[in-house]
Amino acid sequence: MATAVDALHNLASERSSIQSTYELTKYLEYQLKEIKDVYLTYLGPPFNDKDFSPPRPNSTALTLPSAATRVDQWHRLENKARLAQNQKAYSVLLGAVRELARSTLCPSLKTSLLHFCMGLDGLLGSISALMTALGDTNPTQTPNMRGNAGELQKVEGFWILRELQSWLWRSAKDFNCLKKKLRVTLH
Amino acid sequence: MANLVTSLCCVVLAAVVVAYPRNADRIQYGRIGSDVTMQCGSLDNDVSVSWKMNGTYVKAQHSLEGPRLILTNVSLNHTGLYTCFQKQDDDKHEAIFLQIGIPPLEPTITCRSNTYPQGFYCSWHQQHSTYINTTFDVEVQHNQRSLEVKKDLFHKNRCHVRFPEVFSSFPYKVNVTAINALGKASATKTFEESTIVKPDPPERVTATPIRFNPRRLEVSWHSPATWPDIDNFPLKYFLRYRPLIREQWQHVELSDTTSHNITDAYAGKEYIIQVAAKDTEIGTWSDWSVAVHATPWIEEPVPVVSTTEVEFHTDTKTSPMPCSNAPQKAEPPVGGAATVITFFSRLLLGMLLLLLM
Repeated sequence: MATAVDALHNLASERSSIQSTYELTKYLEYQLKEIKDVYLTYLGPPFNDKDFSPPRPNSTALTLPSAATRVDQWHRLENKARLAQNQKAYSVLLGAVRELARSTLCPSLKTSLLHFCMGLDGLLGSISALMTALGDTNPTQTPNMRGNAGELQKVEGFWILRELQSWLWRSAKDFNCLKKKLRVTLH
Repeated sequence: MANLVTSLCCVVLAAVVVAYPRNADRIQYGRIGSDVTMQCGSLDNDVSVSWKMNGTYVKAQHSLEGPRLILTNVSLNHTGLYTCFQKQDDDKHEAIFLQIGIPPLEPTITCRSNTYPQGFYCSWHQQHSTYINTTFDVEVQHNQRSLEVKKDLFHKNRCHVRFPEVFSSFPYKVNVTAINALGKASATKTFEESTIVKPDPPERVTATPIRFNPRRLEVSWHSPATWPDIDNFPLKYFLRYRPLIREQWQHVELSDTTSHNITDAYAGKEYIIQVAAKDTEIGTWSDWSVAVHATPWIEEPVPVVSTTEVEFHTDTKTSPMPCSNAPQKAEPPVGGAATVITFFSRLLLGMLLLLLM
């Protein structure tokens, strides 16, 4: 009986943690919208044109895991795998945004980007904690994947923020999905 | 190439303004405002012919050059069946259906996903009619791949596309080319997956009064039937309501529920209520649902007691007001109690006047 009660408490606690992580994701998504507008203005035309979409460069700076996935594959993800994909993505993205901040010449934009990195770091921490709570005792920390540390190209900067935006949007759906699965487990 | 062929599969025939007569040997097209030359069969240049339009001799401004009829500055009125006859022969030599129109204009394209994450549809229209048969070729590109496009069975200028993936960073590019006998015109629309998501309005909205609660209404609804995966792609809702006597709406945003209790309704007033829906993460709000009307619960009115039944007692206790869960605002008292109070007021006034005299 005590074990069942404990299990219920744990599940409720996990749901609460997932909800907090979800809310952090939404907050970062909102922050990113503002930073992205400023950054694209900083890059100048054609990057700040509404419909501009350059090809995604095939460079070492952009060894970013894509948020895009087939719907059926996304549905079938197990909880741990779902979290692991998020963790891997944000590990890489955090390094990429730090690099973006380093190579930005505008001081206020650099500050905003570095502040945003703190939020991303917090998100990574939340995800790692969730993975531990769900039984993944050794959540893998992927090292920042930035190859040759030359100057970041404008198009690379453009795509880093674009992929980040897609990941934050996807993560919100991932955490919502996790929450629902845990609710089913509770009942 | 196969993909290109596949994506060109969506070809839609626009409405034909003038039917192609069965007795025409061929159709010829002419642009409004231009000069049109029609050749009677393959007759030699020195052969004279006469021409009729819809059975009568051509009246519009024209000139003749042997077997050719030249119409100048044509308008839509020149559309018709032209038949030519050799002067010595009553049998028609050739029948030509002349259709006057204009080349296509760039179509206007709109795209929307009300079945996210399944797929989206694009619709297009021209600013005005071309007056002649116009077809539309549709191509959709995503991440350097062409996607399969399917014609809508019920809507003339609409095609459907399935999302190849979700949470994509690559935009979709839709190209629609309008083609008719006088030319072609193309338009392109580029968008990201997240920007075109707009659910259909919520369905089966109901609003019910709650017994013994004069300021409450219970509102419930269903997610739109076209939304395919409500569990993994939940919707949030926006409810608006107002009494009919007021212009200003009150709004409530709700997540994770398809019902809501309005607790601040004006007692006894009829309300109008609507609900809209949106994906919790992306896209735009749906249109408002069909409006429902409801009035909060009202207590049954107490039967009025006749004044002849009122009895005056020597003790000053008066019978209490009828017991009610719904105290009325500033309503005048009714029945026998009112008559007693009026009597005593007059008595008191009379006594005061006597004292003053």
